[in-house]
Amino acid sequence: MKTPSLGEFEELVLLMVGALHDEAYGVAVLENLEGHLKKKLNISAVHVALKRMEDKGLVRSRFGGITEDRGGRRKKYYVMTALGKRALDHQYALRNSIYNLIPDISFSK
Amino acid sequence: MKPPKRALQFLRWFCRKDYLEEIEGDLIEVFEKLSVISPRRAQWGFIWSVCKYLRPQFMRAFKFNVHQNARAMFRHNITITYRSFLKYKSSFFINLIGLSSGLACTILIYLWVSDELKVDNLHAAGDRLVEVMERQVDNGQITVQSGTPGILAETLAQELPEIVHATTVSWTDNYVLTVDDRNVQGTGVYAGKDYFKIFSFPLLQGDPSKMLTDKKSIVLSDEMAVRLFGTAENVLGKTVTWQHEKLFNISGVFKKMPAQSTQQYDFLLTTEEMKEAHPWTQQWTNNAPSTFVVLREGATVEAFSAKIVNFVKDHGGEKGTTVFATPYSRLYLHGRFVNGVEAGGRIEYVRMFSIIAFFILLIACINFMNLSTARASRRIKEIGTKKAMGASRRALIIQYLGESMLMALLSMACAFLLVILLLPQFNLITGKTLTVPTDYATLLSLAGLAVFAGWVAGSYPALYLSGFNPVAILKGQLHGSWSELWVRRGLVVFQFVCSVVLIVSVWVVYEQMQYTQTKNLGYNKDHLLYFEGQGNVTQNLETAIATVKNFPGVTNASSIGHSLMEFGAGSSTSSMQWEGKDPDLVVEMENVRVNYGMIEMLEVQLVAGRYYAPQYGTEDTNIIFNEAAIAAMGIQDPIGKTVTLWGKPRTIVGVVKNFHFRSFHEKVKPLFFNLAPDGTWMVMMKVEAGKESDVIARLEKFHKDYNPGFLLSYRFLDQDYQAQYVAEQRVATLSKYFAGLAILISSLGLLGLAAFTAERRLKEIGIRKIHGATNVGVVFLLMKDFTRMVLVAIVISFPISYIISRQWLDGFAYKINLQWWFFATAGLAALFVAWFTVALQTWRAARVSPAKTLRSE
Repeated sequence: MKTPSLGEFEELVLLMVGALHDEAYGVAVLENLEGHLKKKLNISAVHVALKRMEDKGLVRSRFGGITEDRGGRRKKYYVMTALGKRALDHQYALRNSIYNLIPDISFSK
Repeated sequence: MKPPKRALQFLRWFCRKDYLEEIEGDLIEVFEKLSVISPRRAQWGFIWSVCKYLRPQFMRAFKFNVHQNARAMFRHNITITYRSFLKYKSSFFINLIGLSSGLACTILIYLWVSDELKVDNLHAAGDRLVEVMERQVDNGQITVQSGTPGILAETLAQELPEIVHATTVSWTDNYVLTVDDRNVQGTGVYAGKDYFKIFSFPLLQGDPSKMLTDKKSIVLSDEMAVRLFGTAENVLGKTVTWQHEKLFNISGVFKKMPAQSTQQYDFLLTTEEMKEAHPWTQQWTNNAPSTFVVLREGATVEAFSAKIVNFVKDHGGEKGTTVFATPYSRLYLHGRFVNGVEAGGRIEYVRMFSIIAFFILLIACINFMNLSTARASRRIKEIGTKKAMGASRRALIIQYLGESMLMALLSMACAFLLVILLLPQFNLITGKTLTVPTDYATLLSLAGLAVFAGWVAGSYPALYLSGFNPVAILKGQLHGSWSELWVRRGLVVFQFVCSVVLIVSVWVVYEQMQYTQTKNLGYNKDHLLYFEGQGNVTQNLETAIATVKNFPGVTNASSIGHSLMEFGAGSSTSSMQWEGKDPDLVVEMENVRVNYGMIEMLEVQLVAGRYYAPQYGTEDTNIIFNEAAIAAMGIQDPIGKTVTLWGKPRTIVGVVKNFHFRSFHEKVKPLFFNLAPDGTWMVMMKVEAGKESDVIARLEKFHKDYNPGFLLSYRFLDQDYQAQYVAEQRVATLSKYFAGLAILISSLGLLGLAAFTAERRLKEIGIRKIHGATNVGVVFLLMKDFTRMVLVAIVISFPISYIISRQWLDGFAYKINLQWWFFATAGLAALFVAWFTVALQTWRAARVSPAKTLRSE
């Protein structure tokens, strides 16, 4: 089966969803990514990526319970699917295989 | 701390419902965290983020499906309309023919009316451009005339500060202009130097401030320049010869005056030249030229009029003369004056035709209404089914209105084609040069008219049909209500009232025209050929008359001062004095200069005395009056009595019967014949019937040899006579067509209704026939109802048409009496047309075999 393509930012979000396993919702993904990337992101970008990956079947979502926070709105949690994992693996393997082809020499500045 | 409300509302408005909770939640969480640090940044961040969600991925589906439904309904309606057209072809064509001919007629009248409104309304000065006219008290009656002293314009301009420009414009005449060997005849006038500042006729060459200042200057139209020089370019400063007599320098060229101007000149000469050639125009007691003035900004016509009332009198004019000003643009449509007061004019025809257009359109719309309501019962199942399936009343109204508007637009397209086809003929009748409108504004307003007509025609059926109760319809319980029947009948009655009124009016116009054509005028206008003497002819008038008299086919010849129809065009005088004259009384008399034999040739009858004749020796001190003049002066036994004219005594030698030298609109005015062969330059001859073309050919040859360089322009007197009634003739012809059209449309409607009634009563007819009714009997049965309607219409229309005809006839001083049989015949005509139409339809229904109609059920 053909694995769906992954954009750079989508890959980052997917990685974070996997890392936060079962605790990944919009803001959590946003904040962790911001922490790792050391730059400001807009929540809408995360949503765009999440929704797109959900359509491709790379992540699955479910609503959490109602809490006092967030004006009573439920959180939506995302988990990676097997397809998502495979897409990541595929991407990772692809990068590695090419990366290994780089000769071990010193590069000019 | 709350997130911005507006931004949240906006998000909720556009965002997909299944994403909304998550997105809102996340946004609020981010906002709350950020607002601890900086509430302002949190607010802006929130708004910015909301904006970032504006992408198709997050948008909800707006209700496009609703629009798709409307489109489907639209298609559905069109299909249904198309099918119903196909199914009921006869009513479709009745509607199409009725509506399109009604619309075509409306468009034609609209074109005519809008053109009439533009006439003489094209000058920059607008309402400040006024004509100064005279009121003269004549025998207790006040008459208004445009003829004024030729000196009035410049005196007004000198003395009154509210005048910007003033000009005299003389009478028109045909003159010959010559360049090298080329002789061209054209219409010319004398006009003041500010003429082109007052009237905004476009100038092509020449300096407007210097034009017509030099006495010997002339201004040509481009058309005239082309006729003279072959080109309108570079003709400034060139010389033309006028009447083979005087030389003039061209100081300007103007563009041919537009058709919407009543002033139509080929060239203009200066007033200075007029003063020299016609010194009498410089006296305050002689009236002939017109006077035009442009008032200063802010000056009102009323105040100006009041100020100049006694202007002519104070400068030595006649005692009974007062002057007043009227906006020039008004005069074309409001040019009739009764007893010195403005009393309509062409505006009456404009109004009349507008009203006719409106009624014809209304009649056509009524047809549509009647037929659609009548056909309702056929489509009642369709309506019932639709309603039962949930169609709203609005949807049904839209359907029926749409149907009628589609019909109207279709008719408008046909009407437009009709207009294109009929316009040349229409132009011929109206004497205009109308063109098919192609500008967007007109086309758009025509489409608007079609939609309006469709709306009017469709509103009643739409509201009426959509109001049915679906249960009743589907159960078949619906019967035509009384009110519905009454409305339909009322509309038919209304149509026929309009038609009968139109027929009567047309008839009255026609009879009055016949009357003017055949009434004994008191002189014989037939077979009188005349031409204007110029050059050699005027110098050797007697020789010319003698030569012409000897032409085979000419029985008599003489000469006269002006064509009989031009009487009153500036040749009247009020200086007649007689014994016992009240010094305050002013009697304006026509002055007709004649040669020997002229009065006899006109066949004007003598009441007393004799005609002028050479055997009585010198006739300079004699005079012949008409009866009206004798009555105005109150002289008993006039023959042999003496009157004083222009300070010299004259003996009355003859009195002639009154004859109608002016149109029948006016009473016969006082007149005298003055024997003055030197002042006559119209050579007139009596031609034997059938020899006209021979005589004309001979005359042309004679004129060419005898009067080289001048062009012959001849006319028949009865042509001039016809020209006096040209407006009435046009109205008569046009209203004839319109009346025919109204009858046609009305009977089309009746045809449709009759067909419908016959169809509905097919079963009844079948049963009647089985019981022994004859075909004729059935036809009579069906016609009874229609006959009653038409009779009611006839009764209603009589008083209306009586009032209208009376009013129109009041414009004539000599008129026909309204006869009862005008009305009776018009009524009968309408009745017969109705009978014929209905019989045509019912006969078909009556002949159907009852077995066929009764087979089903």
